[in-house]
Amino acid sequence: MRIATFDDTRIGVVANDDTVVDATDLVEQFEPLGPEDLLPDLITHFGDLRPELERRVTAGGGTPLQEVHLRSPLTRPSKIICLMGNYREGTDRPLQILDLFFKSPEKISGPGDTVILPPHQANIFHHEGEIAVVIGREAKDLNAEEAMDAVFGYVAYNDISARGLGRSGINSFLGKSFDTFAAFGPWIVTKDEIPDPQTLSITVDVNGERRQDYSTSDMERPVPELLTYISSVTTLHPGDVICCGTNHQGLGSMQDGDAVVTTVSGVGSFTLHVRDEHERAWQRGIDREAGERVKAAAQHPVAQAPVSGGSA
Amino acid sequence: MRLVLTRDDRIGVLRDGGMVDVSDAFVDIRYRTAADRMPRVLATLRDRRPGIEEMVAGGETLPLPELQAPVPRPPKLIAAFGNYREGSDRERQTQDMFLESPDSVIGPNGTVVLPNHPASIFHHEAELALVVGQQAKDLPADDRALGALVGYTCAIDVSARGLGRIGPSRIGKSFDTFTPLGPAIVTIDEVPDPQDLHVTLAVNSEPRQDYSTRDMEYSVVEILAFISSYMTLVPGDVVMCGTNHQGLGALQDGDQVEMTIAGIGTLEMSVRDPQRREWPRGVDQDMAARQRAVGAS
Repeated sequence: MRIATFDDTRIGVVANDDTVVDATDLVEQFEPLGPEDLLPDLITHFGDLRPELERRVTAGGGTPLQEVHLRSPLTRPSKIICLMGNYREGTDRPLQILDLFFKSPEKISGPGDTVILPPHQANIFHHEGEIAVVIGREAKDLNAEEAMDAVFGYVAYNDISARGLGRSGINSFLGKSFDTFAAFGPWIVTKDEIPDPQTLSITVDVNGERRQDYSTSDMERPVPELLTYISSVTTLHPGDVICCGTNHQGLGSMQDGDAVVTTVSGVGSFTLHVRDEHERAWQRGIDREAGERVKAAAQHPVAQAPVSGGSA
Repeated sequence: MRLVLTRDDRIGVLRDGGMVDVSDAFVDIRYRTAADRMPRVLATLRDRRPGIEEMVAGGETLPLPELQAPVPRPPKLIAAFGNYREGSDRERQTQDMFLESPDSVIGPNGTVVLPNHPASIFHHEAELALVVGQQAKDLPADDRALGALVGYTCAIDVSARGLGRIGPSRIGKSFDTFTPLGPAIVTIDEVPDPQDLHVTLAVNSEPRQDYSTRDMEYSVVEILAFISSYMTLVPGDVVMCGTNHQGLGALQDGDQVEMTIAGIGTLEMSVRDPQRREWPRGVDQDMAARQRAVGAS
């Protein structure tokens, strides 16, 4: 089932005939405090709501997709957890140490939205197309067998990244937390429609030019292992999002006027626009230097360990 | 005004060693849990203040009950990287901050549980914490920025070292229970100068950290200007100003920790480690020397 947020934060199901069937009233019975509660409430009560959602989809009468304004399905996630580089990227290195960071959940971008590049002196602004996992229930210390039970579904994600800011240079994580830099779309696909999350194809196209093009089969650690690790650190909640990392081979700049299309096979596709008041220009096409740097750093992990900032 | 949240979800104002219950001032705020209630309370505190003060003036002082964190689950938990000069004469370091899991917060007299992860050590980091009271973006680096705050409180940024991939581990600060916060939010009008606060932390009554916020590399208003140039701040967000690493030490099973910021409050916590690991007691002098060397080379 495809769950969408549309128009003025309404919730609905996208039927196979590409119409959107409104389900907002079903969620409102749980008395959300704000629109940001609608989706987590639907997730929490999905087992109970599913028969009625299916009945409505079968009954038809939805609004054609082209007549609604799709929003990010997640208007304000409770947490956005991002994995650090989690793809082999053509190297034969041993598994890297698992690591993650948190991204600001404010001012999320969705389909058709505009990413605003800030005036900060970044070296470059990169797109990072990813698959993201949406959490379905509260979870702590999941084991490998039960990890997938905590998944609600999947969404396409772009982890927009300003490079070279802050103290740790290329590894700046705050450079990923600018308003509008977390982009989700076009809807959440429930996990029953994705039998194997490790066989998905992810692409990013900028102005019609192919940039990223990789398979989730190249992940260093598959989704269940990520969930086991993350839930050993922090309690997960319905609607938390786990972004599984990107394959850096194919990153490129985002600049004023760009149209960026992020696609995950079996999930969907959404377009972002880019605005830069300063109209900075970078080389177009794939940033091969960035790709090589990531490969080299991963082959020699010690080389990237020292950071001038000391401990936090 | 010193605002607290009790474990049974009453909102109180501290007075004469006790508390006046002012929950009635907020009855119109719909909520499900204390976590989603407090940001809404803090967003409207300024408008409700005259009414609250009347309530306090006419109210009965109750013995202070057990408290939870004044913001049990901040919308965002933001932390500054090392932000103190620590006796070095280095140039100011590049400013940087990061986000921690907002689910790591616990309240006064809570228990920090050390996880079964192979950390090289678990440190305490006593910090001044800022509590945001209104939505804010692109704040100026002057006193106007303080207008976005509702007040200040104490935070202990518990830190597992040596985990994760890159340099200083951030992930080691996001474990559940790793951010004791409280006891009260002290409103900004009660703190004439946030750059002149004395911070101390003791473990089992042995002094460890002892520093002044005068030594910050980037001041409170510079922190607010910086972080709000990246992301929108919202009511209930908590921003931790970094620690002075001279005086850090190990936390281990059974430890009783007491942190005080003069004029703000005293925050106590205990430590439990199901693995009962042991580290040398006392101040971690290696860590302190390493921090002084940062930027000096």
